[in-house]
Amino acid sequence: MRRTAGLAAASAAVLLAAGCGGGGPSGSGDSKLTDDKIVLGVLNDQSGVYADASGPNSVKAVEMAIADFKAKYGDKAITKNISVESADHQNKPDIANTKAAELYDRKGVDAIFDVPTSSAALKVADVAKAKKKLYFNITGATTALTGASCNKYTFHYAYDTYMLAHGTGTAATQQGAKNWYIVYPDYAFGQDMEKKFSAAVEGAGGKVVAKDATPFPNDNFSTFLLKAPTLNPKPDTLGTMQAGGDLVNLVKQYNEFKLRDKGIGLAVGLMFLTDIHSLTPAALAGTTYTDAWYWNFDQQNREFADRFMKETGTRPTFAHAANYSAAMQYLEAVQAAGTDDADKVVAGLEGKEINDVFLRNGKIRAEDHRVIHDAYLAQVKPASEVKEPWDYVKVLKTIPAAEAFAPPSAECKM
Amino acid sequence: MTTVVDSEPGAKPGPARSGLVAVARAPWWLRYALLAVGLGVALWLPNSLYPPVAVDILCWALFAVSVDLLLGFTGLMSFGHAAFWGTSAYVAGIVATKAGLPFPVAVLIGAVAAAVLAVPIGYLAVKRTGIYFAMVTLAFAQMIYYVANKWSTVTGGENGLPSVPRELGGLDLSDEYYFYYAALPIALLGLWAAWRIVNSPFGRVLVGIRDNPARARALGYPVHRYKLTAFVLSAFLAGLGGGLFVMNHESVALDALHWTTSGKAVIVVVLGGIGTLWGGVIGAAFLVRLEDWLSFSGFEQIGLVTGAIFVLAVLLFRKGIWGTVATLAQRRMARRRQSDS
Amino acid sequence: MTGFLQHTFDGLVNGAFYALLALGLAVIFGMLRVVNFAHGAFYMLGAMGAYVLLAELGVPFWWALVIMPVVLGVLGMALERAFVHRLAQLDPLYNFLLTFGLTLILQDLVKSRYGVQSIPYAPPAELNGSVDFGLFDFPTYRVFVLVFAVAICVGVWWLLTHSRVGMVVRAATERPELTRAFGINVGRWVTPVFGFGIALAGLAGVLAAPMRAVNPLMGSDLIIVVFAVVVIGGLGSIFGSVAAGFGIGLIQAWGVVYLADWPILSQTLVFIVMAAVLMWRPAGLFGREEAPA
Repeated sequence: MRRTAGLAAASAAVLLAAGCGGGGPSGSGDSKLTDDKIVLGVLNDQSGVYADASGPNSVKAVEMAIADFKAKYGDKAITKNISVESADHQNKPDIANTKAAELYDRKGVDAIFDVPTSSAALKVADVAKAKKKLYFNITGATTALTGASCNKYTFHYAYDTYMLAHGTGTAATQQGAKNWYIVYPDYAFGQDMEKKFSAAVEGAGGKVVAKDATPFPNDNFSTFLLKAPTLNPKPDTLGTMQAGGDLVNLVKQYNEFKLRDKGIGLAVGLMFLTDIHSLTPAALAGTTYTDAWYWNFDQQNREFADRFMKETGTRPTFAHAANYSAAMQYLEAVQAAGTDDADKVVAGLEGKEINDVFLRNGKIRAEDHRVIHDAYLAQVKPASEVKEPWDYVKVLKTIPAAEAFAPPSAECKM
Repeated sequence: MTTVVDSEPGAKPGPARSGLVAVARAPWWLRYALLAVGLGVALWLPNSLYPPVAVDILCWALFAVSVDLLLGFTGLMSFGHAAFWGTSAYVAGIVATKAGLPFPVAVLIGAVAAAVLAVPIGYLAVKRTGIYFAMVTLAFAQMIYYVANKWSTVTGGENGLPSVPRELGGLDLSDEYYFYYAALPIALLGLWAAWRIVNSPFGRVLVGIRDNPARARALGYPVHRYKLTAFVLSAFLAGLGGGLFVMNHESVALDALHWTTSGKAVIVVVLGGIGTLWGGVIGAAFLVRLEDWLSFSGFEQIGLVTGAIFVLAVLLFRKGIWGTVATLAQRRMARRRQSDS
Repeated sequence: MTGFLQHTFDGLVNGAFYALLALGLAVIFGMLRVVNFAHGAFYMLGAMGAYVLLAELGVPFWWALVIMPVVLGVLGMALERAFVHRLAQLDPLYNFLLTFGLTLILQDLVKSRYGVQSIPYAPPAELNGSVDFGLFDFPTYRVFVLVFAVAICVGVWWLLTHSRVGMVVRAATERPELTRAFGINVGRWVTPVFGFGIALAGLAGVLAAPMRAVNPLMGSDLIIVVFAVVVIGGLGSIFGSVAAGFGIGLIQAWGVVYLADWPILSQTLVFIVMAAVLMWRPAGLFGREEAPA
């Protein structure tokens, strides 16, 4: 008797669980713009560490692209029914996995954009491959997206660990940073960055005096900062591969321990405009890093940034501009193909050469779907030279598209 | 002193305090009806819900029931059960990836690993009770988290294990809809086991220890050993949930071990009803659905909503959903019996 | 040698934060038998508050150091009256759960207003240099934090030993059964003491603002370590909590340097110490076993 009571209870619980919701077994939908609509999905971190660098404003950027697309084609547009769906993956691969499948299946999304955090980015690539739907990664840094994990439906925009490490490591070494002390967060992004960065430094004739893995996340870097001046030979540059909150901590403490006064400069692996804003340019003055795009680089960028400012009240990071560009290029490809059939759109994108507000000398490599474009070696201005809010950086040099990214990897088999 | 079930002054002691017992007293036809309806819903669930979400509900139901086994029936609040959920997740994921074992076997191995880990942690933790127990389990779970974070050659560190295969004798389980039905028996077996434990002589001793440890000790029961056994069994169930969760998402994230995961399990139990066992299932269904809905509705502050609901529950509805419903039903039945006589 | 001294100093500075937070937890626990999960959230509010005062109202660090503890202390007293008090008659675990829920709410409220990006907060100009100790130099601000935190701990100790409320708190903390058996009215001090404990967390937060990343989650993982610290020191012992705070700070700093080859070990030292303490002295190094539960 009691046994049934227990099971009854369990089953009743499940009953209550059910509620509303659509679904049924997910069939493989075929996409021919049959429902006369295109849905773009933005899957990113809406409230966590990357929320400012991409986050809700990336959704705004995609909306801007839709508006511009409609304005450009007017009545000739393949459809006027274009909308955006967004979801928060909280930087967790398991949630990213579910949400990506859900966007494709339940929300009728034709292409997913953004997806920061390498682990989540790779997970979504698997989903895109399984569902045969498009996926434009913008903010996942791992080169595996165009390496071992590459697939026909995945495109990698904006940046990757090679671009960041190679750009900064090579350029900074050529400009006189000979002896390096590298600290990196002890997870895949950091480890990957450290390897590529050390290789770039040594390739340019520099020497890595020491390198240390730091806990992640970490509140206190004083141990490593105390160690830096005692190394032999004494390093002239501290290369930090930290990102987000860790980077903020480290730079704060770098200044506190007055390493710059002790003759140790700072080079940063990955930095978003929002990081500079949060740390203030004064704390970072003179720091070099590689940027995928800068809003005040030229007139075209500036015009986009002004419009973006009107929409969001802030200046765009490269991630925002890249989301705009990717959405625009996807819509253009659909327009050109006359269908949203994924295979046909992919065929149209492969090998395409593009120049737009984000992509300069851009090209979508057919071999691995890496979207290559010019990158920029940037330096944070001293506070005295900052003339308006958010204009924190001067571009030291443009790194041509062909040099900025690694050649196609042999690991990638489409 | 460490009774966790509602102990308002003036509340009548005895079986009436526990939601489980309250339901056990329901008439036989109601119990069969609930059983039938419940099983029916379990079978029909993925037709109404997005299948991966439905599997998530199963996983969290197992997790919540495992926490309630300790909290509601042993009087020990573990705030570190993510250690077992997450350890099983990693072990199941590694076993499935490296050895290519069928997923139920991998889940089982994961759950056994969780139970093994629970022996030393439990041995140390049951030395303390009440709030200390909560803090000690919390701290140990965080230690496991740091170990997994650092031991990246095995765990993938912050990246986790990106691709875990879902194998079952050549069956194609890539469609989540069918995977739900493959996972359902494991979940039901786990829930049934929890129910068996609670209703066994062993379970009754646990409740006795919860209500009056001094008396149980005086009666000659080795209290520590009983608590430790309950802790290990609970860890095994949490491990079942964690293992299934990995198979559902085909990846393991470091987050599985973070203390917020432990916290979420406790929230689920409190919302469902402490000491009601099946309340955890309802709590899981409620919270998983709520979070799914919130994350798609564009509302970013999920913690604000769950936190507020949780605080309200702690302040006003300490019996949780199941406990409150059971109490109301019981009162109604008592009234009817009165008017009958 | 120089390196050792530097790292020791560094460990003490970090220990100072553990000590301040553990002290607040211990005082609250003593009076209410409540472990305040929201302690980390109030630490965060202290730092965020300092930022808001500076950025939006132009109030400098020194004033924030006074204002934030007072504001948060009052907020703490209000929360005690509104919520914690209601659960006082129940198992203390309910208040642990309540403060856990409050933590989620406070974190997300701050997140929704200020985002999660770490926020800049510069140390006050007077403390911007470094102090030369002969063998090594150290940032002035960190020296200040250490001196200030020690002063606060000594001050609280003096208060506990030389005032009526202090004696009640100490008695209630270290001999709870006896105090109540003597019929000492503990009740009227409950709310102020709760507020005081929260104020200490807020103070630690303001102190952290110039040297750590200020963001809504800054107290989230820290509180777990502080829990381990009070388990090691003995939650029932005010002295034990402070001593364990500084001790763990030192052990962590040395661990990172001298166990650099075993990163798993250096990260988890505090928990290993906790396990050892539970093995040999389950009540904590300075704690006293309570009546069997």
